[in-house]
Amino acid sequence: MFAFAIRRVLSTIPVMLIVALFVFSLLYIAPGDPAAIIAGDQATPADVERIRISLGLDRPYLVRFGDWLWHILHGDLGTSIFTNLPVTHMIAQRIEPTLSLMLMTVVFAIVIAIPLGVMAAWKHGTWIDRAVMVFCVLGFSVPVFVVGYLLAYIFALQLDWLPVQGFTPIEDGFWPFLQGLILPTVALGLIYVALLARITRATMLDVLGQDYVRTAKAKGVGQRQMLFVHALKNAAVPIITVIGNGVALLIGGAVVTESVFAIPGLGRLTVDAILRRDYPVIQGVVLLFSLTYVLVNLAVDLLYTVFDPRIRY
Amino acid sequence: MASGLAAPNLARAAGNNVLRFVPQANLANLDPIWTTQYVVRNGSLLIWDTLYGVNDKLEPQPQMVEGHDVSPDFTTWTFKLRERLKFHDGTPVLSRDVVASINRWMVRDAPMGVPIKKRTDALEAVDDTTFRFRLNQPYPKMLFALGKSSTPCLFIMPERIAQTDPYKQISEYIGSGPMRFRKDEWIPGSAAAFEKFAGYVPRPETASWLSGGKRINFDRIEWHILPDGGTASAALQNGEVDWWETPLSDLVPLLRKSPNLAVDIADPLGNIGSFRINHLYPPFNDVRARRAVQMALSQADYMGAVVGDDPALWKPLPGFFTPDTPLYTEVGGEPLEGKRDYEGAKKLLAEAGYKGEPIIVLVATDVQITKAQGDVTADLLKKIGMNVQYTALDWGTVGQRRAKKDPPAQGGWHIFHTWHAGADCVNPAPYTALDASGDTAWFGWPKSDAVQAQIAAWFAAPDFAAEKTAIDKLNAAAMDDVVYIPTGFFKGYQAWRKNVTGVVKAPFPVFWDVKKV
Amino acid sequence: MSATSLPAGAAAPLPDVLPPVRQRGRVMTFVVRHPTIVAGGTLVAIMVFIAVFAPFLGTVDPTALAPAKRLRVPSDTYWFGTDMLGRDIYSRVIYGTRVSLLVGFSVGILTAIIGAFIGCVSGFVRLLDAIIMRAMDGLMSIPPLLLAIALMALTRASVQNVIVAITVAEFPRVSRLVRGIVLSLREQPYVEAAVASGTRLPVIIWRHILPNTLAPLMVNATFICASAMITEAILSFIGAGTPPIIPSWGNIMAEGRALWQVKFYIVFFPAVFLSITVLAVNMLGDGLRDALDPRLAKRL
Repeated sequence: MFAFAIRRVLSTIPVMLIVALFVFSLLYIAPGDPAAIIAGDQATPADVERIRISLGLDRPYLVRFGDWLWHILHGDLGTSIFTNLPVTHMIAQRIEPTLSLMLMTVVFAIVIAIPLGVMAAWKHGTWIDRAVMVFCVLGFSVPVFVVGYLLAYIFALQLDWLPVQGFTPIEDGFWPFLQGLILPTVALGLIYVALLARITRATMLDVLGQDYVRTAKAKGVGQRQMLFVHALKNAAVPIITVIGNGVALLIGGAVVTESVFAIPGLGRLTVDAILRRDYPVIQGVVLLFSLTYVLVNLAVDLLYTVFDPRIRY
Repeated sequence: MASGLAAPNLARAAGNNVLRFVPQANLANLDPIWTTQYVVRNGSLLIWDTLYGVNDKLEPQPQMVEGHDVSPDFTTWTFKLRERLKFHDGTPVLSRDVVASINRWMVRDAPMGVPIKKRTDALEAVDDTTFRFRLNQPYPKMLFALGKSSTPCLFIMPERIAQTDPYKQISEYIGSGPMRFRKDEWIPGSAAAFEKFAGYVPRPETASWLSGGKRINFDRIEWHILPDGGTASAALQNGEVDWWETPLSDLVPLLRKSPNLAVDIADPLGNIGSFRINHLYPPFNDVRARRAVQMALSQADYMGAVVGDDPALWKPLPGFFTPDTPLYTEVGGEPLEGKRDYEGAKKLLAEAGYKGEPIIVLVATDVQITKAQGDVTADLLKKIGMNVQYTALDWGTVGQRRAKKDPPAQGGWHIFHTWHAGADCVNPAPYTALDASGDTAWFGWPKSDAVQAQIAAWFAAPDFAAEKTAIDKLNAAAMDDVVYIPTGFFKGYQAWRKNVTGVVKAPFPVFWDVKKV
Repeated sequence: MSATSLPAGAAAPLPDVLPPVRQRGRVMTFVVRHPTIVAGGTLVAIMVFIAVFAPFLGTVDPTALAPAKRLRVPSDTYWFGTDMLGRDIYSRVIYGTRVSLLVGFSVGILTAIIGAFIGCVSGFVRLLDAIIMRAMDGLMSIPPLLLAIALMALTRASVQNVIVAITVAEFPRVSRLVRGIVLSLREQPYVEAAVASGTRLPVIIWRHILPNTLAPLMVNATFICASAMITEAILSFIGAGTPPIIPSWGNIMAEGRALWQVKFYIVFFPAVFLSITVLAVNMLGDGLRDALDPRLAKRL
């Protein structure tokens, strides 16, 4: 088990290297000359050339990649072309809101979707099942920002229960922190709930038809206990796979949700950076999110062995 | 405000000593000499102080200066600073800080700073609180130059910061203004914060625009950057912010309905929309191509897109100067009046040698005014047969890219849009955008000897009649040479919560004497 | 069987115990058995019709400005109202169908082709397999929307670039899928026999592998199509997608977002169209998957 865990962790390294290669190449092929931008508008071509050499922009691709990688591993993600602030600083400023939003959304989705999916599987063929299926397909289809505006309109403006925008850090009070995150979480989480409920239902249906379930039923174990303990445990593997994969959806959705609710997070940073073609920031954010995604999937893979001892790598 | 939850939203009830303001655009950088963007100047007004400051009649009043002495021929200007002026880091404000700041500003300010620099024999610090200009030609409008509100404003910075190359951005924001900038809380694109500077000594007089005592009644002023107009509107209605600098005119009827909000015209001097052309490269380096656009441009279309359906909010502008001011003129404005001529435009374009090359139009899609104008331009250019390359950017990037003199296809541009505060267009003195000196002119680098001659004539005019004549000729010359194309005169609103008092009408948000009750 | 031709000595035919089954038409059977395919397919067909025949559906030039007529509410002349530049929203939404369908279908088809190609190469050429799959893993680790955003940052806004960006973000998953199928099929006796008898690789792929990938590829393509349409809308919404002068549902919603409190119809109509189209494609995909291979439900 331990050896497997080590092997699995080590296998993320080549993956991250590929990601790093891709992200670095982004800046390499990007149009625009960083040296010219730094040199300023009144600089002579000689000035630009001088700056270009001092930045090391004249060295070959692999050397530059190695150098860049070296800096990354020391926590230096470069400097924003636009604000002249270090990218790590800009990311650190904005990480709390995004992290809070994503964690809350994952919890929200799991808490809502799994019972929903289980119930739909249990009551297969009835209107409950149909209703859940309809909800799932709808959840996929309506864009995040539409849901966001609707929720803001109803709950913030009309009912005045929750704020329209902004983010309160947790140190300023737990309740305001929570309040500010409720609407964005629901807006962002809807698609995740839909995805998760669907897979839960499909997997549960599959499991419920299996032999060992029928055996358990025949042995007379209580229905409820059977469902939740035996069946769910066996359904766990595909479900947590989807939880892991769904994080990619979450990251994408966070970009939009933060825009709609004016949450000062990494998603908004990404949107601003792309409009400005601020490549170092785009690079930093893509790297960070990819690393998160890789780590989440790693955790999922390690969790597999907890749920299903048959799995070995 | 009906409330369904017991605990009040702490984020909303921020308390009466914090003002939460929504600015017109993102505060992406904070060097008011390096950039002429209004949003940077507006923030800078809190951090830095000025030698003189214009009041609501655009008359310069002493601010950091105690008094001045000028020779009868306007060539020697001696100034004395007020006592006990301090920078935010505790150091006193000295003449050499002023001299360094003036030197940096003179390089970048085309309509006044550059001409002053040209005629300056010496600008020296006589002692710690006295400094002197020795000019080789008279410059009667010196006080206005030192106190004008048009960008770039002459902000006084510590010598070491003011020695930064004027074409590079400063990285420290230390001033002697009424508030400190909280650089550690600055999240570009999202938020900025200013904190009251206890060491600021306001002048005794009542404040009026940039003159008088700048008394701040808040411990903190927070700038919340909300690019989504719908979110900003909802936040204002909900009490999550206190003051919105530029509410969309389409949202104003909704805001008016709320009993907690006040909405009013932001500035009676209004704004002039600008269709800014790059004179350096084809096709627009040929005046015929510029005239072609001019004869097809419909100000009604532009203004409708910018301010919407309320006719009280805009006026056609066959000229370059602010309506309802003494020097306003329509002489020479015929090309912008009357029926639009698309066929004539196409002919002129062909004559100018336009062969269908892509026209790079920079459009800042995050600022409503520039996006609206950009959309109308795309349509207009299509109507006269031009090949439009609509380049969607944000306002900050437009600010950077418009400064490039590169060929359009290599990172440059053909057209961008902006607007000028009416206060900056009452006469040629603050009017950066009208200067047609070529290389040192504002972005677009128009070159017109006729225009420059009339500007000089106005500066030298002995009386009002002579000024008017010069302005009339200037207007006609600028229209003829198409320095830029005004897209119309329009006014905007500002909106604030009723518990915020002291909000005045001005070309920029005035934070002093504002209180929350 | 005619009653007159029974051989001698045969027993009498059994009486009809069950009542005769009413013969439904083959079409009705299909509809009853596969309601999602029919519902989804019909909606998609309607959308395609709208996209193709846009100029004839009572539309005007979707880019024609008329600032004098801005922000009219829906009425007889302007079925969906006008936007802040006076453009007819009905026309823009109808023409927007073209962009969304073009992006969706193109990405669906391109990812299928590229994914199939790479999957086959990877599955058969052991040497390249490790490298290719590592590369695919790397690309898959970047959340698709971010990858698309990063790619769009490199180029100008245009429909083609959006298609390319989303395709690059989605094809790695498809290639993994095809590779999995190739790997399992490779062990099959008939494939081994074909290899042993010297059949060339492309022929093997064409004759034995591809037919088995069609079903999962098709199902996957529909889901990718739906996802691509939403991604395009999001990209346009944040300003990194199709250029603002081309009417696309994402662009229309982006332009109308500031006014959602007063003129919600600007966001509403494109949102409805987008939702219905994505819904339809998803239903089609679901139905196809259930019809072709219900076991795919766990994976797709």
